[in-house]
Amino acid sequence: MSQTPPSATVSTGDPEPEAPVDPHMAVLASRLESIVRKMQNTLFRTARSGILNTGHDFSCVLLTADCRLLAAAESLPIHTLIGPDLICHAVKRHHPVLQRGDAFLHNDPYDGNSHAADHCLIAPVIDDDRTIRLFVLAKAHQADCGNSRPSTYLGDVVDVYQEGALIFSATKIQSDYQDNADIVRICRSRIRSSDQWWGDYLASLGAIRIGEREALALGDEIGWDTLDRHADAWFDYSEQKMKAAIRRLPSGTAKIATRHDPFPNVPDGIPVNVEVTIDAQNAKLTVDLRDNVDCQPCGLNLTESCSTSAALVGIFNSLNDPSVPTNAGSFRRIAVHLRRNCVVGIPQHPFSCSAATTNVADRLSNAVQRAISEIAPGYGMAETGPLQPPGAGVISGRSSGSAESQFVNQVHLAVTGGAGSATSDGFLTIIHAGNAGMCRIDSVEVDELHYPMLIETRRLVEDTEGAGEFRGAPSAYAEFGPTEGHSMDVAFMADGTINPAVGARGGGAGGVSKAFKRDRKGALSKLPPCHSVHLEAGERVVSYSAGGGGYGKPTNRNPGAVLNDVREGWVTRERAASIYGVAIAEDSTTGLLDIDQATTAALRKQLRTSPFTRP
Amino acid sequence: MRLACDTGGTFTDLVVESAARTRLFKAPTTPDDPVRGVLDAVAIAARGYGKDVSDFLAEVTTFIHGTTRSLNAIVTGNTARTAFLTTAGHPDILVFREGGRTDPFNFKVTPPAPYVSRSLTFEIPERIDARGRILRPMDERAVLTIIERMKALGIEAVGVCLLWSVANGVHERRIGELLAERFPQVFYSLSHELNPTLREYRRASATCIDASLKPLMFAYLDALTRRLKGAGYTGRTLMVTSQGGVMDADVVARSPIHSLNSGPAMAPIAGRYHAAAEYGDTVAIVADSGGTTYDISVVRDGRVPRTRETWIGPRFRGHMTGFSSVDVKSIGAGGGSIAWIDNGGLLQVGPQSAGATPGPAAYGKGGTEPTVTDCAIVLGYIDPDFFLGGAMRLDAALARHAVHSRIASRLSGTVEDAAVAILALATERMVGAINDITVNQGIDPEKAVLVAGGGAAGLNATAIARRLGAREVLLPAFGAALSAAGALVSDMISEYAAIVFTASSAFDFASVNAALTRLEGKCAGFFGEDGGELRYEFFAEARYVHQIWEIELPLPRARIETDADLAEFVAAFHREHKNLFGIEDVASPVEFVTWRVRAIRPAVPEACSSGASLPDSGSNALVRRRRVYFSSTGWIDVPVHRFEEIPIDDGTDGPCIAETSFTTIVAEPGTRLHRSPMNNLRIVV
Repeated sequence: MSQTPPSATVSTGDPEPEAPVDPHMAVLASRLESIVRKMQNTLFRTARSGILNTGHDFSCVLLTADCRLLAAAESLPIHTLIGPDLICHAVKRHHPVLQRGDAFLHNDPYDGNSHAADHCLIAPVIDDDRTIRLFVLAKAHQADCGNSRPSTYLGDVVDVYQEGALIFSATKIQSDYQDNADIVRICRSRIRSSDQWWGDYLASLGAIRIGEREALALGDEIGWDTLDRHADAWFDYSEQKMKAAIRRLPSGTAKIATRHDPFPNVPDGIPVNVEVTIDAQNAKLTVDLRDNVDCQPCGLNLTESCSTSAALVGIFNSLNDPSVPTNAGSFRRIAVHLRRNCVVGIPQHPFSCSAATTNVADRLSNAVQRAISEIAPGYGMAETGPLQPPGAGVISGRSSGSAESQFVNQVHLAVTGGAGSATSDGFLTIIHAGNAGMCRIDSVEVDELHYPMLIETRRLVEDTEGAGEFRGAPSAYAEFGPTEGHSMDVAFMADGTINPAVGARGGGAGGVSKAFKRDRKGALSKLPPCHSVHLEAGERVVSYSAGGGGYGKPTNRNPGAVLNDVREGWVTRERAASIYGVAIAEDSTTGLLDIDQATTAALRKQLRTSPFTRP
Repeated sequence: MRLACDTGGTFTDLVVESAARTRLFKAPTTPDDPVRGVLDAVAIAARGYGKDVSDFLAEVTTFIHGTTRSLNAIVTGNTARTAFLTTAGHPDILVFREGGRTDPFNFKVTPPAPYVSRSLTFEIPERIDARGRILRPMDERAVLTIIERMKALGIEAVGVCLLWSVANGVHERRIGELLAERFPQVFYSLSHELNPTLREYRRASATCIDASLKPLMFAYLDALTRRLKGAGYTGRTLMVTSQGGVMDADVVARSPIHSLNSGPAMAPIAGRYHAAAEYGDTVAIVADSGGTTYDISVVRDGRVPRTRETWIGPRFRGHMTGFSSVDVKSIGAGGGSIAWIDNGGLLQVGPQSAGATPGPAAYGKGGTEPTVTDCAIVLGYIDPDFFLGGAMRLDAALARHAVHSRIASRLSGTVEDAAVAILALATERMVGAINDITVNQGIDPEKAVLVAGGGAAGLNATAIARRLGAREVLLPAFGAALSAAGALVSDMISEYAAIVFTASSAFDFASVNAALTRLEGKCAGFFGEDGGELRYEFFAEARYVHQIWEIELPLPRARIETDADLAEFVAAFHREHKNLFGIEDVASPVEFVTWRVRAIRPAVPEACSSGASLPDSGSNALVRRRRVYFSSTGWIDVPVHRFEEIPIDDGTDGPCIAETSFTTIVAEPGTRLHRSPMNNLRIVV
């Protein structure tokens, strides 16, 4: 891993005073957010697949009539920061005349979408005078998208043909609020568990129709011109907030080189180079991704949407200022330079982008946030644990007995990965960098109810946190398989089995990802990182998720926090002493743990002066 | 006669409803022994009626009680030392929760801790599957070892939640038996009994919260019922629940999780009642301003707000209670809030409160810190000789001294300037809290009415309304005891549910109707033989096949007897689904999961709104003018109106003071007051 020493200069520009927010602007911004939340509630409560109705792997947004991102509420950043805007432009380009009641299905990775598994439904919001006022968009990760094999992430395919996804490009699926049955039949004939797909389609459709209904009501109530003025004022305000946030940072440039683990067809892995420049004077942040390899014969290439969004994720993770809204206004202060036919750029058809939202995208976000931590002490973030172990894999199979019992779904059973930041420990269930913890974690009971599976174990693994002043989240362990009378395939593609999530500013690396198969006798055999394992009843897959990296030196961690980690079983007493320099003593009668202050002081002194740094 | 009693952080409110009239009484809350505060209030009321306590209580049929005791115990970390027993292999259920986060880029918040530490979590060797079959019989020897370990650790309560106990509760029940046998002094809760729902996290969380409250709430409710009985009470003791209903106190003692929001849950019900009576259909911001906390809720479309998934603390980062609840937000700000100067020299108010002991400096009970109440005395708003209708004499000099010595002497300006600044700051914190809620819900306060209740409400209600831009403030006649009054204006509701899983494609008429009959019988049993009209409502929770979240839907009639009944109900489901979610799927079978029967005894609303229900007229009705201080006018002579002497429908202009025995209402210059025919004070700000 090569690294250019950062060149840092301190900005001389005084931060601008932040403008007070007009209370009416805050109310309106919030009303737009609550429209999005209603859309999300609709999708979550009505979907049929577990990945949507339990995993919450979807996003809803409002866009302006000229396709600028206006509100996204609790959506996945990798789904929404950049992408919905590109899709909106694609729809307008392909359909110059839009009518009320139109809706479009779009999942084209070469024209603005994140990856083929994310089906987007987008509809214009058209007022009574036939003027387009807004767009509503719902993006939902499908349990299946017609791929050649039952997984929505195929890392090992050479191109989109081998990937096999059905691709829809701004395809009109509703006119005058009625389905185009031809499109529905195409989906039903190629997507596994087609009733599940149909139910999920209805859920997304409900979301955009609820959004449209609410938006029309809001426009009627306050007037469309007021809403337009609000959007402009809100973007300006967001830009001001972003300027203020950037001006708190020192100026400088840092280059970080990182690498996705070797996968089929990419035996050396995929190198990722980022160059981040902070220009505090002009309140501008630049991420240059052009110095990277061409598209690769695998499913890990990024889409334009994911390349840009992943860079933005790394930036917003680094600012320490959650009050900066994420929308087209704040994005004006950021430039992300991409090139065509680049693995972290704009993809060249027919290279596959099957897994564009996770593996390489997370490497990119992680590199950006670590670059900022190099330039700006007290900002940036360590690396989030890479995806995606079997505990977040796609399960599929056919229950014996009844004919209608084919199943396919992605589980979120055991994923963690939160990185230490400059102000807090890693959030346990961040899932992956581009997700930001917006997805949910499965209930063991819900998964066992809906699929013929038994989840033997789900627990955290001690001593797998990236150590630091603010530590990363530990790895999660899961062991599961089919129940008696059933078989099951579990598809996964785990980065981070070789290259862990590294720490920032002296923090340590998180635990690596691992996968095993346990046979009926209980013996374990190691599985490749990008694989689909077949399990018969009595067999299990064993999954270790990757832990998150730590921020700052472990010897600077508050000893009370280390004691708490030991009590909670996250860190052993041995590691507390050897890595954090905190001696924990056990009361011989009560068994209660406490800090041995004198030994701790001595340990820390020794560790701080040691020429060796431990992982 | 019915009594409603609400124990707040500072005062214990008691509302007495009798045929003749409704009256309000207050006594200081006694945190060391809160039952004493309840009995003190009863004694004051008995005196007010000129009776012995036992004669007075002999006439009472129903005692409805609300208290913040259980929530306070959790917030202050004073619950029992609690262990969590879980299925082997799944020790981190309370750590993982169900995942989820709110702000993608907010890393300033500390990741949450589990409700029960891993060090007090024990894995039980056993496993049951989704169909209730025992895959691994429970190792009882291991359970006994764990019990001994828990004894050594000084465990006081145990939450037991095993995977799939809702499909087969045999292992949980056996653990309960072993605990009762081997560790009889420990309190425990079994998840399949407390909250028989799918999803292990919310069930485990509910169970551990419930267990952790049991020692405390059992002792409290036991003492309350015993001591009321000792004082001569023979009627029924009911507790206000988080859902804004009531349950028998002994039932709540056995599942105290239902009392979490017991304190403030009735305030929005009272607020809704008064707002609807005065304005019809309006958005009402209901704020209950007591001595310690400021509780806020928003009533829209006549609906009391409820949260489906209630969290103690923030969503995803707090602890899910597993039950729905009336949605009330609290901040630490009230009459008892203490003013202080921080280490940067900035004036602050609260969240610390002087509470009832020692109380504000003016109480003369040893308090030296200046409170909001002290400031109101300094500025002449509260008449120190007429506090609580003259029942309690306040010392204005002590109030002035506290404000001077702790605040004014360290800032530039006069004691009055300091008092005005402290009140303004308290107002700002309350406005901020209201804005958080209204802005979050996209509500424009300009179109809302502020319903201000609680003993301290009148001090700054007009100032708050002005800052919000609200059009009017409504101060209900019984506003000084908003929550307790709410218990009397609310319908009495009894509700029971059962799970009978069936689908429209093969509907199990017999089981469903049998369950409905059983539930209806339970509801009737709650009300017993005491006559009176009962209204029944029937509901099912239903979904499309493969969905996992249900919607609640009223049944067209009491039973589903025929195919036509079923078809009618299924059609109603499609309609409601389309209405809520924009789509329907008429080709899909509908699945029914939960069946629910609700029996309602409608409230008798006249009692609380009739002209007869005046607060006590004090002895001090002769004072007609008082000098008060406003920042805009300085010291100024203003009229003081007795609330009940303001002619109905006749208005008067501010600046002025309106007083009841329990509250002082400050009408700033430029406001206009009038008393409505329903005996509420309306102030246009």
